[in-house]
Amino acid sequence: MNVQFKKGVLELCVLVLVAQKDRYGYELVASISEKFHIAEGTVYPLLRRLTTEGFFITYLAESQEGPPRKYYQLTDKGRRYMNDLVLEWKIFTRGVNQIIEEGIGL
Amino acid sequence: MTRREFMDELDRLLRELPDKDRLDILADYTEHFLIGVDRGKSEQEIADSLGSPRVLAREILAGYRIHQAQSNASISNMTRAVLATVSLGFFNLVFVLGPFVGLIAVLIGLFAVALALLLTPIGLFLKYGIPGNADEQYLVLFSGMASFGLGGMLAIGLARLSRWLYRQFLRYLNFNVRMIRGK
Repeated sequence: MNVQFKKGVLELCVLVLVAQKDRYGYELVASISEKFHIAEGTVYPLLRRLTTEGFFITYLAESQEGPPRKYYQLTDKGRRYMNDLVLEWKIFTRGVNQIIEEGIGL
Repeated sequence: MTRREFMDELDRLLRELPDKDRLDILADYTEHFLIGVDRGKSEQEIADSLGSPRVLAREILAGYRIHQAQSNASISNMTRAVLATVSLGFFNLVFVLGPFVGLIAVLIGLFAVALALLLTPIGLFLKYGIPGNADEQYLVLFSGMASFGLGGMLAIGLARLSRWLYRQFLRYLNFNVRMIRGK
């Protein structure tokens, strides 16, 4: 898949995953790279930006094994933003799907 | 690349950042390495899938510069933000630097017009002095006042326009790093 396209989608995926439950960075990276190939390091600048924009808050929590982890939690502002993005995404993919169906019947 | 090499290089590339931000970012990647190793991956593997520190650092710096230009409006902050965004790829040379230089040139041109209008009364005085007859005195006086007034209004309008453009351009930069980030 085109890399430039994925960058925008990455933001949407991160927001939706954190909306489901609070998550730490490694977990987010792993869930996304399971589905498609990304330069995993780019997730962290993205998380940082979403946090400075007030869409996430972070907290540290101990874990049974390994170091304490930084967890990301969606704020109300973040949830509104995510809902907007999801809606845009739905409209976009519906349009693309229609074009594909009408064009080559798949 | 080992964890040590990865972290050292990233640290070096991010040296322009304030310590607090830099250490925070490095801590995120350290956490990533530690958890990965804990789950049986080699440092080499983890570093490979993270991607090159150089590309990551560019992205981090662009985000930081834009944030700076937002919270602290100045031409030099804006220029830094533009340059950091341009460093993300050739594409941005055309779509970011181009419009930026164009806008600046137009603004400079318009400010020059405003300045010329503001200085016109002085020019008129130097050229004609205080004319002998009353008609000419009025002509020089009122044309001087008219152009000074126009220049003043233009300058005020331009100052507002510049501020507005500054905000719009930042929005564009933000949109740009969000959609077309990296290579």
